Amino acid sequence: MTDNGSRNVGIAKDAPEAMIRLENLSKTFPGQTESAVEDLSMEIPEGEIVVFVGPSGCGKTTTMKMINRIIEPSSGRIFLQGEDVTKVNADKLRRRMGYVIQQIGLFPHKTIADNIATVPMMLGWEKKRVSDRVDELLETVSMDLSYRSRYPKELSGGQRQRIGVARAMAADPPVLLMDEPFGAIDPITRERLQNEFLRLQAEIKKTIVFVTHDIDEAIKMGDRIAILQTKSRIAQFDTPERILTDPANKFVEDFIGAGASIKRLSLSQVRDIKTASWPVAVLSEGSEAVRELMRKSGKDSVLLLDDRRRPKRWVSADDLAHAGRIEEAGWPAVSIVEEGSSLYDVLDTMITSYKGSAIVVDGEGRYEGVVDFDTVLGAINEMRPLEQQRPELAEGAAEQRDRS
Amino acid sequence: MTVASAKTGGTLPRWVGYLTKPVLLGLACLALYFWVSGLELDSIEQRELNAANITQRFIEHLELTAAATVAVVVLAVSAGVLLTRPFASRVSSVLVNVANIGQGLPSVGVLALLAIFFGLGFQYALIGLIAYAFLPVLRNTMVGLRQVDSSVIEAGRGMGMSKNAVLFRIELPLAVPIMLAGIRTALVITIGTATLATFIGAGGLGALIETGISLNRTPVLVTGAVLTSVLALFVDWLAGVAEDILRPKGL
Repeated sequence: MTDNGSRNVGIAKDAPEAMIRLENLSKTFPGQTESAVEDLSMEIPEGEIVVFVGPSGCGKTTTMKMINRIIEPSSGRIFLQGEDVTKVNADKLRRRMGYVIQQIGLFPHKTIADNIATVPMMLGWEKKRVSDRVDELLETVSMDLSYRSRYPKELSGGQRQRIGVARAMAADPPVLLMDEPFGAIDPITRERLQNEFLRLQAEIKKTIVFVTHDIDEAIKMGDRIAILQTKSRIAQFDTPERILTDPANKFVEDFIGAGASIKRLSLSQVRDIKTASWPVAVLSEGSEAVRELMRKSGKDSVLLLDDRRRPKRWVSADDLAHAGRIEEAGWPAVSIVEEGSSLYDVLDTMITSYKGSAIVVDGEGRYEGVVDFDTVLGAINEMRPLEQQRPELAEGAAEQRDRS
Repeated sequence: MTVASAKTGGTLPRWVGYLTKPVLLGLACLALYFWVSGLELDSIEQRELNAANITQRFIEHLELTAAATVAVVVLAVSAGVLLTRPFASRVSSVLVNVANIGQGLPSVGVLALLAIFFGLGFQYALIGLIAYAFLPVLRNTMVGLRQVDSSVIEAGRGMGMSKNAVLFRIELPLAVPIMLAGIRTALVITIGTATLATFIGAGGLGALIETGISLNRTPVLVTGAVLTSVLALFVDWLAGVAEDILRPKGL
């Protein structure tokens, strides 16, 4: 796509009303001749997660930091909820936007409660209201209230990031800016935090600008993705589906990388597909009940749950016959995914699992169902005709293939 | 230092560790008292070693030290804050070098020069002491402010804290432990250097030492030296306790 073309891509198709509008934004850092961001215009719709993604040095972080004017734009205008905020008091503007950075930046000398209370205190809330809000937020990010009086150094990386998110949301700002918020966290915790955050966003429906360099994270998190080239030129600004099925140009195609089709599996969650039913029994029911269940169901194994319906073990008829205690029969159920996990993650879990299937649990870890290869294949088959119903997309994709 | 080691010392409660040093210093003073009162003093020694004179010298010494320290803390901390602001990034290294020169000059020489150019007295001794104790406080203030994690500052600014709010509520509290270490060093230096103030007529415990040397009266010399040392060690102990109390929790 040419430079001229990219000006129009900045307006997302059929988007709701814009929460943030950037108009011809440019930034040249002092002492540099090349601009870091050049003439960027885009609209960020209300209530959506918009992900800025691009190779390092493309200006995505600079662009995000110009929205709350941590970096002052050299030219251009910024609108928040229709109001021109390019020249208003920057400190007051920032109190209307939550801000989460990769290093989190919790205040090490302040307690967790004081950290979360930062913006409400600046806004002059009453003590009681601040304290209630802190409790509410700790619950929102699934942290125990006993953490109130702890200090940041006593927390793990994942816990700190949760507090970082809670702190950004403290005064209930309409907008959250997040700069690689899950970048410095181990993959397992990152996955969990991403899922938690998506679940949270489904409730709070904030307008979120999310910066990452990881296209997989962008696909997972974004309602819309802006793929940025050098100087923050927009290569494509669209929904993840359309970016994967219909990349606008060679740059986008290369950036998505190999396996665009398999990445589409990241877009569907387990809760969207039909899970297979599987015979389950609660451990405390005893081995006789389990045997009975196995006979009736005709399956070769049964999934055992604990009293809170959390998956514990798989047992087969053989195991039941040989093991003394039912708690030690069979093998542990470890291939577990949450409802919010993507089909991509599910497939990954299934491939490494012993039984070639994955157990689906809800947010509290309670059993929901079982997914196997047949279920996933069925879901993939259902996706296909959808694509064929949109001939213009299929054509576009074909055109792309021809050109390359 | 003893305070720190006492904490890790093991089973004894913390206040026992805190008390060790002042008790030892008290014993040193007692030993000095018994030794001096067991001596037969001549008229010069009697004139110097009486409660009124010693108290006066002691108070002079404290006044000099306190005034110099307060001035140094105010001046050097402000300078340290200013020099770590972005607009001062070019001049800061030059000014730190100037402060380095102040530290490098021999203190007797500085005091002598001040006396030659300005005259004798308390305020000129004070200038010398300030010049001498300025660097450790300035340097530690700057180091303390610079070691504050930039992401913490960015988070504060990003949430809408003003530059001043970030300075007073984040940067300075986080710099306190390092700044206090600098102030502690400055205090001890000042107490030692203040013994030289007697050469430009500002009195202090140095007067005892000087009399002891020039008139060859060992008891007077020893009394001055021991009292100065005890004072320096005691103030160092106080500053150590203050460091422990004032260090922000969570660091």
